[in-house]
Amino acid sequence: MEKKSRRSFLELATAFIGGILGLAAGIPLIGFAISPAFKKAESKWVDLGLADRLKNSRFKKVDYTFTRKDGWVQATKKRSVYVTDVGNGEWNIFSRTCSHLGCLVRWDEKQESFLCPCHGAIFDQTGAVVAGPPPEPLEKLEVKVEAGILYVKET
Amino acid sequence: MEGRKDGRWEGWRVFVRERLPLEAVDAHLRKPLPKHINLLFSLGSLAMFLLMLQAVTGAFLAFYYSPSPEHAHNAVTYISTEVPFGAFVRGLHHWGASAMVIIVVLHLLRVVLYSSYKAPRELTWIFGVLLLLVVLGFGFTGYLLPWDEKAYWATVVGVEIASTAPGLGDFVAKVMRGGTEIGAVTLSRFYALHTIWLPWLAFGLVGVHLFFVRYYGSSGKPENTPEEMKTGKPFYPDQVFEDVVGMLILFVALAAVALFVPVPLEDVADPTNADYDPRPEWYFLFLFQLLKYFQGPFEIIGTFVIPTVGMLLLLFLPFLDRSERAVLWKRPIALTVTSVCVIGIVTLTILGGTSKKLETTEATVQETTQPAEQTQDAVTPETEAVEEGEEVFDFQLTEEEIENAVDVGTE
Repeated sequence: MEKKSRRSFLELATAFIGGILGLAAGIPLIGFAISPAFKKAESKWVDLGLADRLKNSRFKKVDYTFTRKDGWVQATKKRSVYVTDVGNGEWNIFSRTCSHLGCLVRWDEKQESFLCPCHGAIFDQTGAVVAGPPPEPLEKLEVKVEAGILYVKET
Repeated sequence: MEGRKDGRWEGWRVFVRERLPLEAVDAHLRKPLPKHINLLFSLGSLAMFLLMLQAVTGAFLAFYYSPSPEHAHNAVTYISTEVPFGAFVRGLHHWGASAMVIIVVLHLLRVVLYSSYKAPRELTWIFGVLLLLVVLGFGFTGYLLPWDEKAYWATVVGVEIASTAPGLGDFVAKVMRGGTEIGAVTLSRFYALHTIWLPWLAFGLVGVHLFFVRYYGSSGKPENTPEEMKTGKPFYPDQVFEDVVGMLILFVALAAVALFVPVPLEDVADPTNADYDPRPEWYFLFLFQLLKYFQGPFEIIGTFVIPTVGMLLLLFLPFLDRSERAVLWKRPIALTVTSVCVIGIVTLTILGGTSKKLETTEATVQETTQPAEQTQDAVTPETEAVEEGEEVFDFQLTEEEIENAVDVGTE
């Protein structure tokens, strides 16, 4: 009886110490692996060039690059947006990333809509969802014009 | 309410027991060990624990590592300085490697102490020695990965040692490097060896080693009677409890070292840095020191003959030592050989670790990125090293000599 209760205690103690070891090693390891998820990407204004150059643009595709720290690398990132000159110094810049699953949308002149090549999503000129599975409209990026230069905010 | 809970648990228990051979596993785990098992018999479990810890920490480090000369050093710096828990995880992996070598060697010495390698456990021993080689292989392939000075130069020397092997040495060295010099291909293949090939090999060898350990049972102490060999405490929970306590102590010690002793990371590898004194990790220092004693045509004795013969003797020890099974101090020849080997390796390690670094008064060389012909201009006979008694010629031609030369050419 005494032997049995001793063995039960050892079984419990073994499981307890095993659990402690698992937690002591597991918590830092999981923190180490998932830490990038808690890192906020630095936002920055990116120069798209002279605003005059894009005057009267209507859903004009503009590709640009900028540098951002990517882990241990100062990487050059590429982006693509649609720029529209609304007039009165107002600009609309839409991200081309579909709000569904991240494919790049294309502006279609005939349909006056953004079409997604992946799952058939359609967005209207304001970026609102017209058809397909996206849960949200297209992202409208922050814009500013300073000293005649058009800037878009990268987040 | 309580009854319903019990019923649900019982249902799960029946479900699991019907599908998995838990009772057979349970009976196997509770098999009694020999009597008089002491703490030294936990060393194998501790080695297994460290292997798992190295595998897990290594797998996590791989999330941030990039095996290319352009990125490796920066990636390791990033892990150590910017990733949360990065310095700790790298510390566990780095110091864990050293702990692994110590524990595996102590485990081997325990087997020698009680002559546990004798029949019928010869194969258990052979697979254990192969595992020791794999552990050293992990060390050798692992320390190139940070791509710092130590990584680079230790690998240069290590690969050169392999190249001295007769016959295929040069070929083996080229295969190890992936070419004629250490670079991107070397780093890539060392990474593949360290993270894919050696782990698979290690777990395969551990599987076979453990199979033999369970099949023949623990060797116990030599003085155990046949009756005592099967009437000790059960493996689970008694021995497992002692093993996990040992693992906890080992982990706490490793964690403390990982927290308080930063893992060294030297400057990025520079193949032109002649001021650097290459030194291997401490567990290869004995070999580093040994190489100094064999010069000229005898070099191969230190680089190839002694390590190869030593390993072969170790591997086939059960077939060479034909004495009756007894504790080490009752086997005078084994005691002498073991003592000489241990004292020799420890002494060489200490000598290697404390050996003076080279002091030179070499003139500094101006770094230049100028084209070759301009650089050549800068080297004049006066600036070149000239041995005593050797004449220095001034090759500059006088205008008259040039004119004469042109005349000869046009004639």
